[in-house]
Amino acid sequence: MTEIAATECGARERILAAAVERIASDGIDDMRIARVAMDAGVSTSLVHYHFETREALLGEALEFSYERAGEVRRADGEEAEPDPQRRLLSMVDQCLPYPGVLRQDWVLWLELWLRTVRHPELGPTGARLYERMHDWLSEGIAACGPPPAIDPGELADRALALCDGLGVRVLIGEMAIEYARAQVWGYLARELNLDASLGEG
Amino acid sequence: MLAAAAEVIRERGLERARVSDVAERAGTSAPSVLYYFASKAELLKEALVSAEEGYYEQLDRELIEIESARERMVKIVGGGAGEGDYDAALWMELWAKALSDPELAATRAELDGRWRRTIAEIVRYGQARGEFGPAEPEDFALLLGSLLDGLAVQIALGDAEVTSGRAQQLSLALAERELDCELRAMA
Repeated sequence: MTEIAATECGARERILAAAVERIASDGIDDMRIARVAMDAGVSTSLVHYHFETREALLGEALEFSYERAGEVRRADGEEAEPDPQRRLLSMVDQCLPYPGVLRQDWVLWLELWLRTVRHPELGPTGARLYERMHDWLSEGIAACGPPPAIDPGELADRALALCDGLGVRVLIGEMAIEYARAQVWGYLARELNLDASLGEG
Repeated sequence: MLAAAAEVIRERGLERARVSDVAERAGTSAPSVLYYFASKAELLKEALVSAEEGYYEQLDRELIEIESARERMVKIVGGGAGEGDYDAALWMELWAKALSDPELAATRAELDGRWRRTIAEIVRYGQARGEFGPAEPEDFALLLGSLLDGLAVQIALGDAEVTSGRAQQLSLALAERELDCELRAMA
């Protein structure tokens, strides 16, 4: 306990940040607790103290990565964007694997999908993260004044599924991210009568 | 042997699937498994290709029985062939491994290309029959294929909001908009 008491409260965050990077670069199966501990500058027993199992660490790393992406979004001033169309386009961008933090998040997502098949206990984490994305995007769609026949929640489900399906192809290297972006935006623009050319810039 | 490999990979994941498990399930020895497949990646690839081939053969047989292009579209969006095995678990394994393995990435692209050609052919067939509007078949195939993959992920995550029935409705809604036709009433 002395080590834990003496550790600054940032240790947990450092472990999570290190885990996110290791999972993104090595994959969850090759993620070694000892390596994460070394990257975070803590002992392996401290990692085990905070996270009982690998699955617990993966689940929390995902939540952590999602929160961090949310901070990036706010820092980008997305909420200050007064034009609802541009704001929606910037939301679409946040759902695609642009290089950097977003790409890292994406690799984690992929690992989570994989795990969920054999570790149903991770399901609620995934469903919770998805629900937050869904509510966030629904609001962005609703702000664009959709035609009466459009249900913003259903359109958000379709848009997120498109981002996931196209994003995975970008990640594997099958297409350029600009192309995926233009596809998602083109579809949203057709449904919402928005400016399709906005997504091509 | 391929069926055994598919089962083991589905249950344990590629990383934890052992060649000896596959051998045991197939009633053979590990050396003979390795004689046919140089690596586990090779095994995943062959297991998937074989499962997909069965799926497409079944689907083609079923599609040819259906005259209406709109009904064909409803059929493939509704999970495809009745007996065929669209194997989400194996697919996800392939996606994740394709990130670091160019050979598996090529396999994924190949299988995906076949699926997209099936969709595009139905679009052209429906356009020739005057059932569908003037969408670009290849663009539509990519859009619908990506949507179906994304929805499969939501279902796999156990999202309570997205069941397979609802996923079908969501996909048909996209197809209706893009192909300018009625589909949901036929499902």
